[in-house]
Amino acid sequence: MGKKLWMIFGPLVVAAVVLIGLLFSPFKINRINSIIEKQAATSLSPNILKGDSVKKAALSKKYYVPFFGSSEFSRFDLTHPSVISEKYDWNFRPFLMGAAGTQSLTHFFQMQGVNKQLKNKKAVFVISPQWFVKNGADPQAFSFYFSQLQAVNFLQNQTGNESDRYAARRLLKISRGTEGTNSEVTGALQKVSQGKKLSGTEKTYLKYYKRLLSHEDQLFSDFSLKGGNEDKVNKQLKNLPDNESDSLIRQAITKQAKQQTSSNNFGIKNSFYNQRLKKRIKSFKGMEKNFNYTKSPEFSDFQLVLNQFAKDNTDVLFIIPPVNEKWAKYVGLSENMLNGFNKKINYQLKSQGFNNIVDLSKDGSKRYFMQDTIHLGWNGWFAVDQKIKSFIDEDSKNETHQLNDKFYDTTWQKLDPRDLNTYIKDN
Amino acid sequence: MPSLTPYENPAYFIMLAVAFIPIVIGMLWGKRFHWYEILVSLFFILLTFGGPKFEQGIALIGYLVYEVILVSLYNLYRKKKNDTWVFIIAVLLAIAPLVVVKLTPLLQTGAASIIGFLGISYLTFKAVQTVMEIRDGVLKDFNPWFFLQFMAFFPTISSGPIDRYRRFKKDYDTVPDREKYLGMLEKGLHYIFLGFVYKFMLSYFFGTYLYPKVQHIALQSHGLSWGLLGVMYVYSFYLFFDFAGYSLFAVATSYFMGIETPMNFNQPFKSRNIKEFWNRWHMTLSFWFRDYVYMRLVFFFMKHKTFKNPKTTANITYILNMLLMGFWHGETWYYILYGLIHGVALVVNDWWLGFKKKNPGRFPHNKFTEYFAIFITFNFVCFTFLVFSGFLDKLFFH
Amino acid sequence: MDTKETVLNILADLTGNDVSGSMDENLFDSGLLDSMGTVQLLLQLQTELGIEAPVSEFERSEWDTPNKIIAKVEELQ
Repeated sequence: MGKKLWMIFGPLVVAAVVLIGLLFSPFKINRINSIIEKQAATSLSPNILKGDSVKKAALSKKYYVPFFGSSEFSRFDLTHPSVISEKYDWNFRPFLMGAAGTQSLTHFFQMQGVNKQLKNKKAVFVISPQWFVKNGADPQAFSFYFSQLQAVNFLQNQTGNESDRYAARRLLKISRGTEGTNSEVTGALQKVSQGKKLSGTEKTYLKYYKRLLSHEDQLFSDFSLKGGNEDKVNKQLKNLPDNESDSLIRQAITKQAKQQTSSNNFGIKNSFYNQRLKKRIKSFKGMEKNFNYTKSPEFSDFQLVLNQFAKDNTDVLFIIPPVNEKWAKYVGLSENMLNGFNKKINYQLKSQGFNNIVDLSKDGSKRYFMQDTIHLGWNGWFAVDQKIKSFIDEDSKNETHQLNDKFYDTTWQKLDPRDLNTYIKDN
Repeated sequence: MPSLTPYENPAYFIMLAVAFIPIVIGMLWGKRFHWYEILVSLFFILLTFGGPKFEQGIALIGYLVYEVILVSLYNLYRKKKNDTWVFIIAVLLAIAPLVVVKLTPLLQTGAASIIGFLGISYLTFKAVQTVMEIRDGVLKDFNPWFFLQFMAFFPTISSGPIDRYRRFKKDYDTVPDREKYLGMLEKGLHYIFLGFVYKFMLSYFFGTYLYPKVQHIALQSHGLSWGLLGVMYVYSFYLFFDFAGYSLFAVATSYFMGIETPMNFNQPFKSRNIKEFWNRWHMTLSFWFRDYVYMRLVFFFMKHKTFKNPKTTANITYILNMLLMGFWHGETWYYILYGLIHGVALVVNDWWLGFKKKNPGRFPHNKFTEYFAIFITFNFVCFTFLVFSGFLDKLFFH
Repeated sequence: MDTKETVLNILADLTGNDVSGSMDENLFDSGLLDSMGTVQLLLQLQTELGIEAPVSEFERSEWDTPNKIIAKVEELQ
């Protein structure tokens, strides 16, 4: 009987022992090479954002500069930072850490695994006004880029201060009802949100759980990486002049943009216009009259990011992109409201000592500045490129930050920008 | 207290393995520890219906108490008398909780009933079947305590396969000899790993990876499109691998406990006609409907000569039977239409087989015609699954 | 008429085939019998031989060949 039992269960036992050994061992399984890093830099893949290993490998090099942002990164036209930096072989390449649907909260959690790499590093952060809607980040979009590894990283980093408590609360709230959450992790998050300390057992559990998750990440996060976006970048290279001259580049931009926006008067790229707008163009008229980006929990989520940057002493260039002005007029998006948003976000940045801001909010009417309704393109990218290049080239200014927890309050989230002056006086 | 959906999580399988060690050792030495089996069952039921899902757990307990009392009372009655109306009332009372649960979302715009829990419809099948066998007099030694264990047998509690009282009792009261039990262990382990491939690889690939993509394509092009065809095939494979994978786990778990729970699937996509398909697809459900709905209705109609022609009887009963199955799935137009289509398909299928039989030699029969039949059946079935998926509802009405 | 003959007659009626030559053939696999046929068989047995066989009694694997059916009928008589 022993032999028969071994024949049945032996292979299972052996396989289990090997797998457990592999997954829980303290050793790092290192298989990230420069080819994977290069692919990952433009992949916009959720697996890269969810994991640590590829980000860690790439960001530990000065060559890769983390770019936080969202859907604008998928607009690979000839002046997209990934394209232009490749064409003229600048001394850095963007490592794109954002895609459609990523907002401040995603960025905060994906930073948790690479704090060490972000230390004293330069970074670029594109703030989309469209994130700042009434309910803030969408739970579905958030869960698409969220992983248990991020949560465990956060739990290991947190020290129980106001900012950590807010983050834990926020995470519990946004991930409520999603499948696949680990109950120990949820329990630990609840403790942090209530300002309690984690017990020794909980810490040990997190340590081993992290080993498991890290090994999974090391083994599989580059699994579905495809070079699709790399091809897009390479295809655009030939559209730039070989000689890096501003006037020649502007000519190339005009050539491409003119050709690709021929179908409409908004200056929107043909493919976007035809696929997403044309059919229902009438219904868009005046549709965004009541859109409001001035009152949102996103302001506090963004504060988490600022807090993390300050902690890591990361030198960040913030970019505030405009909205396509012709389009904004058509859909009735209020200019007043956009100005209000700008005032609020500028105050939140500057009052805490973040002064590297490229504010493009007034450039929405410039020709070929936007690729579609809200996304930077062509001249817009080029304006950004130049700012980024000089930012990377110059020495870090070593800003000092004075962080204020008042930005976690709902009072701030819901503050009407018209009342900003009174608010400043009172606080 | 966490709550784990059965067979969805590595932790669940590890706990199963640990809990089964005493059972396996006992069985190998010819012993069955019923009290330990009950403890294990209780533990896993708690794991499924505890913690955040405790409301479902309470609903389950209430339901079990209700059904045990109901069936026991009917059994007591049946020992003395055998009126048809009492039998009918007993069956109606047995399905009443399920009817309430199924109708609640319809009446209260999508709200779930508080007396519902994962697996209520499968337990109802077991209860109704027990009532019917008591009525027929083939189940003479009904025991409420055993009935409870039969109902709450944890490996199959959430989604079947649907076992039968007498069959289950035969296994439950005996211990397979060592040779046979070793064979069951071997098969069980094989099923578990096959289940992993089905559920965690293939079902994941079709359901989680491909399905959203084809849905997106289909939704963008409105109406009939290649995307919709993709939805149809992808959903069909997803449905099969997901459910067959789950069923393999349930059967394997039963095997470890020395219970030969019947299989649910037998390569359904190679069926040559719809009748054969229902003998291969979700078998314990279709056999249940065959034995407790179809055959009884036919028996009733024939005995009372309701319809002149046996063919008419068969056809009408097919449609009633499949419609009822549609209603059982849920009160939405697409589930009911799904049942109706299959009912009509069975009628057409019977007619075609009869026509062929009456005209021997008129149609060629060879490998090619067989493959052709499989092809037609497969595509038809996939089409009905597209209806079943509810995707058309999303596409046309939302 | 003995039981065997009666059963074979009923089966011949139901299936349209003379099955006396293949007493161990699986009637369900060959498509000669189905659920409908089964019910008819049970009803015929009831009228011709007076056997009360409820549907629950009918376990396919015990009724799938002519020989098994005859054995089952004799057991129930």
